[in-house]
Amino acid sequence: MADDDTPSDSSLLVIIVDTNPNQRYITEDPKILTNCLDAVIGFANSHLMQKARNELAVIGCHFHKSEYLYPSPGKPLDVRQIDGQYELFALVEKTIKMRLVNLVKSQPQEDKPGESLLAGAVAMALCFIAKIRRECPPGLRMTSRILIVTGSSDTAAQYINYMNVFFTAQKQQVLIDVCSLDKHLSLLQQGCDITGGLYLKVPTLDGLLQYLLWVFLPESSERGKLVLPGRGRVDYRAACFCHRELLTIGYVCSVCLSVFCKFSPICTTCHTVFKIGGPLPIKPKKKKMKI
Amino acid sequence: MVNVMKGVLVECDPAMKQFLLHLDETLALGRKFILQDLDETHLFISADIVETLQGRVDDLMDQLSIPVHEKGL
Amino acid sequence: MTESSKSKSSSLNLNPSPTLQCKDLHEYLKSRSPQFLETLYNYPTICLAVYRELPELARHFVIRLLFVEQPVPQAVVTSWVSQTYAKEQAKSCEALSELLVWQEAPIPGGMPGWMLAQSFKKNLKVALLGGGRPWSMSSSLEPDGKARDVAFLDAYALERWECVLHYMVGSAQTEGISADAVRILLHAGLMTRDAEDGSAVITRAGFQFLLLSTSKQVWLFLQHYLHTAEKRSLSAAECLAFLYQLSFSTLGKDYSTEGMSNNMLVFLQHLREFGLVYQRKRKAGRFYPTRLALNMARGDSTGPPAGVGPGAARGYILVETNYRVYAYTQTSLQVALLGLFTELLYRFPNLVVGVLTRESLRAALRGGITAAQVLRYLQQHAHPRLLAAEPGAQPGLPPTVVDQIKLWESERNRFTYTEGVVYNQFLSQADFVVLRDHAKLQGVLTWQNERSRTMVVTRQGHDDVKKFWKRYSKTS
Repeated sequence: MADDDTPSDSSLLVIIVDTNPNQRYITEDPKILTNCLDAVIGFANSHLMQKARNELAVIGCHFHKSEYLYPSPGKPLDVRQIDGQYELFALVEKTIKMRLVNLVKSQPQEDKPGESLLAGAVAMALCFIAKIRRECPPGLRMTSRILIVTGSSDTAAQYINYMNVFFTAQKQQVLIDVCSLDKHLSLLQQGCDITGGLYLKVPTLDGLLQYLLWVFLPESSERGKLVLPGRGRVDYRAACFCHRELLTIGYVCSVCLSVFCKFSPICTTCHTVFKIGGPLPIKPKKKKMKI
Repeated sequence: MVNVMKGVLVECDPAMKQFLLHLDETLALGRKFILQDLDETHLFISADIVETLQGRVDDLMDQLSIPVHEKGL
Repeated sequence: MTESSKSKSSSLNLNPSPTLQCKDLHEYLKSRSPQFLETLYNYPTICLAVYRELPELARHFVIRLLFVEQPVPQAVVTSWVSQTYAKEQAKSCEALSELLVWQEAPIPGGMPGWMLAQSFKKNLKVALLGGGRPWSMSSSLEPDGKARDVAFLDAYALERWECVLHYMVGSAQTEGISADAVRILLHAGLMTRDAEDGSAVITRAGFQFLLLSTSKQVWLFLQHYLHTAEKRSLSAAECLAFLYQLSFSTLGKDYSTEGMSNNMLVFLQHLREFGLVYQRKRKAGRFYPTRLALNMARGDSTGPPAGVGPGAARGYILVETNYRVYAYTQTSLQVALLGLFTELLYRFPNLVVGVLTRESLRAALRGGITAAQVLRYLQQHAHPRLLAAEPGAQPGLPPTVVDQIKLWESERNRFTYTEGVVYNQFLSQADFVVLRDHAKLQGVLTWQNERSRTMVVTRQGHDDVKKFWKRYSKTS
């Protein structure tokens, strides 16, 4: 009966596409990037197809900066659909492709490609979500999530930035999904686990669109109903603040909780001076045993 | 042989059923109208009485209800 | 053991003023013939609209099957959903079958499988990825010298649509509505010819119509338009496809009328009259869809009023926990609507104060208006202040009022009446069991008791059961 329909939710999806040219799958065959991009665009449009009120943003993440690929700032392109594709979908496709070309062109030629600024891109996505939420009319229930599609390898250089955005996302109730195209990414997997998102390392790049549609298209309320890949074991190792290496056991500053791989008498983060060096004295232990 | 009667099946809560039985016994609607007492929550009644009955039930509900708000400022 | 049926009988006037039925797209399509659906699925826009109306799980089934060329075993589809939601899964499958989105197809090896309907699959792909023919209205245009902005279009749409509504309540502004529109209102049973002077007057269904959200009103109105359209040799499929093209267009953009058939141009003029499109001149060669057309496909009614309804339609009603209703409005239409279910106390130049009482609400219920309709109306037009969540308070209507309105409704429904025929005084238990099982098989049994050997069948099933009994008693 049409008369007692439930309030329609809107779902906001921010896709972060890693376009860094030093990803292994791109250096091996640059043409694959186009295929992957088509898959991402197809996925983005499928998301918009789900509900009339669904919203979308796509952020391109490069090694020198991150930029919105969709929606484009300023006036949208004037697109007339020509081949029966829904006008909005055509607009999404054209805008993303055009702006991606601009992004790639703007990369500094002399620098060697560095690491993708994924943490920064997630921060941008969170800002975008916050903006949309502010603007959304009262009474509308909106769920938001971020999908990161990347083929970069795991580094701990941005460890602190990552943790900051993950916990912000958790606080804002934003899911972070990660689709890894190449290697296992333990840091990003932590992010998925913290925010309740899904982590998937695709076994092969063929049929990427299918992987995306199957795993990442359902929004959080629907995920419980469908059978989706499980969380698995999450590697929760932290990176030390001095050398950005992942540790199983390390030293933690008792004041600011910074992690270090080696003992240092002064905490580099909060400048606390530790008086006791070396192993703990044995006396207190004995006392405990007497009690 | 089998006996066949046309009418209306009424489903209601046990309290309302007792009210209907009461109406039937006291001839409050002018005549008897219950064709058969089926079980705790079901009665079989004659079809032509339904509208009168509905009005009567509304009256009962009116008597039972208490205004939930105050009128005026 | 009690077999009870909640279905209300229709032949006897047990429910004197039926509630207005507003079918959504799904129900509308379900009621049409398979051939009609088949034609519709040749339009990518319709496929897109149908897809969006599907239950959430069904949408995922479709998208997962979209790129699969051979039938997929039904057991596989079942395995996609976790066991706890088997019920929802069954519902989704049913919806897909009803709308002929997928069909059963055997898989080599004899297992039953599902396969998406060819035309639906093809055209949904076209809508999603392109690769088909352009829509009829997308020929390129010179930039419009007098382009209209969104605010103008909103105001225009609101004015046109209110014109229709005002005509219905017989307000002073009765000009500007065509004979066609009146015919549709009459056809839909929203208005009826007065017995004395032949003028059109609003019916109870009409008042319920007014309580609906604007997008639902438009959709219901157009449904009836399509019904009458078939009589005027307009193809309903073509009209529907065009409507959905409109609803998937961009607000504030102009579209070309080039290449549209004569029939469609006539249809466009009608839409122009109701405010679904804006055209400066009849032969302007271009038109602007308005929010009315765009929101029709969204179909959702409980959404927030701001930004969804035509621009100016902002929330104006405040409901307090003491059942008082304050409406900041000046239009007689809104006051009249409020008067349907509240007792109006005071009227000020910009404010009406009313109170929800049992009597006032029962009067509305007697008129066939449901509690859900009342609540939705209040919710839809709720003042932004009421919707904005205050710290520590629930946003929206006060729960006490909501519950009480529902209680007032349910107190009227303490009885369910089912017309039927009672069979009793069976001579043997065996006779009873045979007849009961037969009735049960036919789906006409409403109540039975084995100990008292009594059973009740529906009026419709009586003839069949009687015949069966005669045959049975002869043979035994």
